[in-house]
Amino acid sequence: MPVAEILQVAAGGLLMGLIYALVAAGLSLIFGLMDVVNFAHGELMMLAMYAVFAIWQLTGADPLLLLPVVAVLLFGLGMAIYRGLIARALSVQFNRGMVQIFVTFGLAIFIRGAAQFVWGGEFRSVTGHWLADRSLNLGGVFLPLPQVAASLVCLAAFAGLLMVSRTEFGKALEATREDRDAVALIGIDRDRIFAMGWGLGAGAVGIAGVMLAGFYYVGPNVGASFAVIAYVTVALGGFGSMLGALVAGVLIGEVEAFTAALWEPSLKQVGVFAVYLLVLTFRPRGLFGKM
Amino acid sequence: MKRRALLLSAGALAATGRMARAAEDVVIGVVYPLTGNGAAVGLDAKAAYEVAVDIVNGTHAPIPMLMGQGGGLAKLGGAKIKLVFADSQNDPQKARAEAERLITQEKAVAILGSYTSATGATISQVTERYEVPYLAADNSSPSLHQRGLKWFFRTSPHDEMFTQGMFDFFRDIGAKTGRKAKTVALFYEDSIFGSDSSNVQRKLAQAAGMEVVADIKYRAASPSLSTEAQKLKSANADVILPSSYTSDAILIMKSMNDIGYKPKAMMAQAAGFQESAFLAGAGALAEGVMSRSSFALDATKSRPAITPVNTLYKAHNNKDMNDNTSREITALLTLADAINRAGSAKPEAIRQALVATDVPGDQTIMPWKGIKFDASGQNTLGTPVMQQVSGGIYRTVWPFELAVMEANWLV
Repeated sequence: MPVAEILQVAAGGLLMGLIYALVAAGLSLIFGLMDVVNFAHGELMMLAMYAVFAIWQLTGADPLLLLPVVAVLLFGLGMAIYRGLIARALSVQFNRGMVQIFVTFGLAIFIRGAAQFVWGGEFRSVTGHWLADRSLNLGGVFLPLPQVAASLVCLAAFAGLLMVSRTEFGKALEATREDRDAVALIGIDRDRIFAMGWGLGAGAVGIAGVMLAGFYYVGPNVGASFAVIAYVTVALGGFGSMLGALVAGVLIGEVEAFTAALWEPSLKQVGVFAVYLLVLTFRPRGLFGKM
Repeated sequence: MKRRALLLSAGALAATGRMARAAEDVVIGVVYPLTGNGAAVGLDAKAAYEVAVDIVNGTHAPIPMLMGQGGGLAKLGGAKIKLVFADSQNDPQKARAEAERLITQEKAVAILGSYTSATGATISQVTERYEVPYLAADNSSPSLHQRGLKWFFRTSPHDEMFTQGMFDFFRDIGAKTGRKAKTVALFYEDSIFGSDSSNVQRKLAQAAGMEVVADIKYRAASPSLSTEAQKLKSANADVILPSSYTSDAILIMKSMNDIGYKPKAMMAQAAGFQESAFLAGAGALAEGVMSRSSFALDATKSRPAITPVNTLYKAHNNKDMNDNTSREITALLTLADAINRAGSAKPEAIRQALVATDVPGDQTIMPWKGIKFDASGQNTLGTPVMQQVSGGIYRTVWPFELAVMEANWLV
């Protein structure tokens, strides 16, 4: 393969990998905080994409401008899901693990059905915004601008998550993660921390959804294929680790791109899962996971 | 228009309910993806069947085509057709289970389906076992009719006939413009549709003396197709031949554009490329894309029924008929005609009437020579057309006698 092609494939993998990373970050945050796997994570991303589509259709506003609006919407939705569903699921006395799984799984199916009911099964696209279908040509290596913008926003979101973890709230979050029963004794409102955690997780995947909507089709099932990769990313990076999600996301993007380039495109997920199995065999807690 | 849509949807509601109406209703089962990845196409199909059944059952001005006079099935004392829809979720196993349920529980005397060939394959196994006709409206894999099934019928041309049409077009346009296509790139999803389609294309390319410079099988509904686009760019074939459904069709157009690649020519195996969501999603990037089609909306001169049927469909579903919905309407009318000629709702009588079907092309909305099944149940008279996107819609460019514009051929 010529060098320009190798660079092009690597660039494609990196740009997609950063999106995977941000989708996984929200999932990892919630899991690390309270041991709940959110099976509706991809659907939250899908809702963010539809929110962009709906507002864009109504007002013609550029998706980038909608970023703060949709992020805040998703933050609120995440908190509402915690208060309305998850808190109840956590309070059951019997078979709590299964209840949590079924609650988020059921939520995923509900959101998908609701999206099809409201917007139909049609694939929609946000078109004609100022970055749409434009690319930067760096000596034969092309960088599509909507994806470059998405990558920069993803990196900024990671920086934001890192900053949050340095604040008082972040320390409370970390403490709750370490020992959820002990924090109650020192006056931390565990319920509030959990709700905020869900808000942040949903907000993060919401940001990923907004940026994705700039160059990707929107449909009721769009979250599913990203969610599968997000679960692998979280496990690969280590449950609860933000840095892990970032590194693992990029790694998966590259493995996927190069499996497709050097081997068969139809087998690119085989490459991803092969790396995943290797890590699980030799480092079961993931690359950056804590014991 | 509003009232009509309301009436139609009320009719559909009644049709899906379990309560039997008048005893003489003839129940036809319809299996499509109504939720999940294929839902957009499945819901359009549902609308198409509702319009078609309304044409057969309802009272209206006669439409110049098969079963266009309305008023139900004349030879069954004006019996009405009742459709029962089932959701395959585009999953072959669910399609199998739903077909079985329609036959055993809903007492369907025939099944219509099913968009994707993978689901058509399992449905036709069930109908063979229960000895009920399966009429494939839009499954296009050639392997489906080559399994020696007695109860399988297909009005639509299959991918071998479509692909033969593509290569005939390449030959004709090459002779006309003096610019012959010498290389092709295959780009197809990892399913029965993709592999059957590419197998035929590989074979016919060889027969036409064209070199296959890229052979790319990709994973359907992947988050990214950027590497696949890079492979197409490196090969830079004269013609790219994609076999993809809607979401991948949008994504590959964007991914090629992302890396600064504008293919010389693309000729799609219809499917997703013929969907309005593709034209809207790919926007300007879709200009010049060609696709085979079994339908020509612009052939209103030789097919006078297109205009009235399209008006009804548009009133119901707020869009024009396309390659898929036109074939679905045609399948239902063909089946209704067979039941009517059989004068009976017994599956064996319907099968025999289907075998005897002989409908001239101008009695349909399709640009076909007609509808006549061979021993394997395949319609041998379904002749495809080639179309090209110009100004955001598909226009017929081949056969030249049906063309409404000159093909923009940049090879």
